[in-house]
This record gives sequence, structure tokens and C-alpha cells, in this order.
Amino acid sequence: MKNFWKKYKYLLISCASVAAVLLVWYLLIDVMKLTKNSVFPGVEKTFGTFVAKLAEKKPDGATLGQHLLESLKVCLLGYSIGAVLGIPLGVAMAWNKWCDWLVRPVFDLIRPVPGLAWTPMFILIFGIGVEAKAMVIFVNSFVACIVNTYTGIRQADELHMWVGDVFGASNWQKLTKIAIPTATPMIFTGLRTALGGSWMALVAAEMLAASKGLGFMIQQARYISRPDLVIVGMLMIGVVGLALDMILQKVETMVAKGMNAK
Amino acid sequence: MKKKHINAMEWSCAVASIFAFLCLWHLGVKGDLGRLMPGPGPVIRMFLETLFGGRIGSCTMAVHILYSLARVMAGYFLGAAAGVVLGLAMGWSRLVEAVFSPLFRIIRPIPPIAWIPISIIWIGLGEDAKIFLIFLASFCNVTLNAWSGAKSVDGDYLRAAQMLGAGKGQLLFTVVLPATVPSIFAGLQVALSSCWATVLAAEMVRSSEGLGWIIIAGMNNNDMVQIMTGILAIGFVGMLLSMIFRKVETRLCRWNKSDS
Repeated sequence: MKNFWKKYKYLLISCASVAAVLLVWYLLIDVMKLTKNSVFPGVEKTFGTFVAKLAEKKPDGATLGQHLLESLKVCLLGYSIGAVLGIPLGVAMAWNKWCDWLVRPVFDLIRPVPGLAWTPMFILIFGIGVEAKAMVIFVNSFVACIVNTYTGIRQADELHMWVGDVFGASNWQKLTKIAIPTATPMIFTGLRTALGGSWMALVAAEMLAASKGLGFMIQQARYISRPDLVIVGMLMIGVVGLALDMILQKVETMVAKGMNAK
Repeated sequence: MKKKHINAMEWSCAVASIFAFLCLWHLGVKGDLGRLMPGPGPVIRMFLETLFGGRIGSCTMAVHILYSLARVMAGYFLGAAAGVVLGLAMGWSRLVEAVFSPLFRIIRPIPPIAWIPISIIWIGLGEDAKIFLIFLASFCNVTLNAWSGAKSVDGDYLRAAQMLGAGKGQLLFTVVLPATVPSIFAGLQVALSSCWATVLAAEMVRSSEGLGWIIIAGMNNNDMVQIMTGILAIGFVGMLLSMIFRKVETRLCRWNKSDS
């Protein structure tokens, strides 16, 4: 028994802390009715809304699953285009000095603008459809991928390059056999930052202009004063963001295994 | 001598590429696209004109920038202070970690922007709601870094200090805290850019001044010049912020750099 306590003490405390928060929430709102459900919903109400929203299309025209799919579709579309274009450009900029000198000044101009700030412009150019949002996300992931790939390649150890030289490796071989494997963990960091940023930018873009998607859902729920639905949406956004990050982490451990002992 | 030569090459390349970019932009909007997008000339002119003189909405560009910066700074410092304290406490004591880490793990993945609707319901449309959002943006980043930094303090240092008879308080303030500073600074830097993006989103949803308002008002009035001027200002201030931050960091963490 004592051993058990020792082993699981902190885990139990963690569970207790979450349970305590839920309990306080339940007591304050559901039992004591301190605030109205239209300001701060109770546990029961929020959970009920989550279950109901899985199948129900009211009040914003789509079920939770449909909103989620729509958001994911747009996010992954913009994200993958950004990654596919950004990583090679980052490699080229880090590897070739001419490319670096010519592209980096323009890139440095664009980089400090957060992806979100492009939203109004893209909405005016492309309308409120998929393209505008995909473009916002594209910019986001493109920049993050370039920055990290660039630093990753630049980190390649000079000594390793010399070894490559000694064994007569061509420029191309040095790039593919030494620099890119060295940079892989860094590239993955970039991919993960980009994914988090993309997901966040998407929610913001959907709040401004959309007709479907999680960001749209929470914004609509605010207009009609349904905080329960807002909280369901927020938690959904958080959980999906976390899941995306975990998937990418799994992919990273599979791909980058043994590439850079840290 | 050769180094200088390369530098000159690099500079001329930079000038050439930015010039080419502007030319491309200028030529690109000559045709059909021109009805949607302004060229670089009007944008830069508007930026310079409104910076101190003319007005966008109710005030000059400089005042809009100050509004946004004031919001960012208020939330940023509050969040950073709270984040450092909580992060250190979580890294220092298993008990605090056990109590707060599950709650933190639930809150953290929710992007600050997703809090906008609920913050409006709870706090309203005023300044408080925006500062709350920025607080969240900076708090989560700083806490995470301070926490992992405090957890990864070299055990040898701790044992050495203990062997020399350091008390718990001394251990915390003379060993753990200084060792965590670089990691806290990394968190502060991420937090700063995240706060800058969040204030824009918050202003885009509801405000009557600030850089986010400029671009959203431009969208509503179909005024592309105003949007692009706003974007220019946002990028400019964002760049300035990160430059200032890097300067401060190199000054404060000088000991860290000379180490490696």
C-alpha cells in the first residue's frame, strides 16, 4: 500500500486537481447557480452541448464533425503547400550564397508580418472561400519552414563537411548526405511550429469570414450568446491542435531516428 | 580585405533584390490586377504621410502603433511575470507540478485567438478583454519554457551546492533561477511575437484604433492601400520589437554566450 502511494502519489494529486476544478465549477454554477447559463455555462450543460452538437446542425448549420473536417481540410491544404515550397527554398537559401543574398532581403521584409495580418488583403483578393484562408495558412507555414530549414542547414558541422571533402564527395552529395540529415530535426521543429501557427491562423481567419469551420462556429455562438457552445469549440480546437502536434512528433521520431544525436 | 569585398557584394545583392521586388510589384499591378492591388508607391506614400501628419480613422499612424504597443506591453509583462513564477514553481516542486500541470496541459493547446469569443462574453469588448488575451498568449509560452528550463538544471550543480550546505532558498535563487534564465528568455521571445499576432487578431475582431483596426477597416471600406499600409507598419514594428529584444537578451545573458 505504501509502495503504491509512493509510486502513484503525484499522478493521484494530478487527477485530484482536475477533479477539484470540475467539482468547483459544478458546485458554483450547477448547484449554487451563481451565474446564468448564458454567461458561464455549467459542467452538465457544456457536456450536454458537446454530445448534442455531434449530431445536431443547429444553430450554425453544421455538426461539430463537419466543422472540424472543413477546418482540417483548409488547414492541411495551406500547410502542405507551404511546407512543400518552403523547405526546398530554405535549403537553397542556406546552401547557395547567391540564392541567400538575393532572396533573403525580400524574405526579411515579409517575415515579421504575422500570417494573420494578411487575412484582410487575401479576403479582398480571393473572397471568403477556401483560397483566402488557405493563402493565410500558406504564408504562415511557408515562413516558419524556411526559417527553421535555413538555420538547420547552417548548423551543419564544418568538420563533417571537411570529412566529405576528404572522401571526395561532390557538392550534391555533401548536401544530401551531410547537411540535410543534420538539419532534419530542425526542419521538423519548423514543421511543428508551422502547424501550430497554421491552426491558430485558421481559427482567426474563420472568425473573420467563413461559413463553416470551428472558428466560425465559436464566433456564431458568441453572437447568439451560447457560451457552452463556445467552450465546446475552444476545447475541440485545443484537442485537435494537440493531436496534430502529437502525430507530427510521432512522424519525427520515425523519420529522424538517429539522425542527430543531441 | 576579401571579407569586405564579399560584404559589398552582399549589400549590392540585397539592394538589387529589393529593387527587383518593388519593380515586379510595380509592373504586376499595371494590368488587370491593378484594379485590386495598389503599387508600392501609394502604399509607401500613405505610410509616410500618415505616420505623424495625416489621419487614418481617428488618429495618426504613430498613435495607432502606440495603442497596439500599449496593449501588448500590458498583457505581455503581466503574463511573463505570472508565467515565470508558475513555471519555476512547477519545475522546482513536484507537488506544484502535480497540481498545475494537468490544468496547464488542457489550457495550453487552445490558441489565444480561440479565447476571443468567450473573453467578449465574460469581460466585454473593452481593453480588459484584449489584455486578457495577450496575457494568455505570453503566459503559456513563458510558463512552458520556465518549467522545462527549471526541470533540466544540471543535477551536478544542485548536488554540489547542497554538499556545500546551501539551503533550499539559496538553491532556488542562486542555482536554479540563473540556470533557467536562457530558457526563460527563449520563451519571452516566442511570447513577444505571439502577443504581437494576438493583439492584431483581437483588434481585428473589435476595436476602434490600433494596427489591427487599420487593416480590418481597410477591408470593410475596400481600401487596399490602407490594408497594405497597415501590413507594412505591422511588419515594421514586429521587426523592431524582435531587434530590441535580441539586443536586451545579448546584454543580459552575456555570460551564457561566452560559455560555449
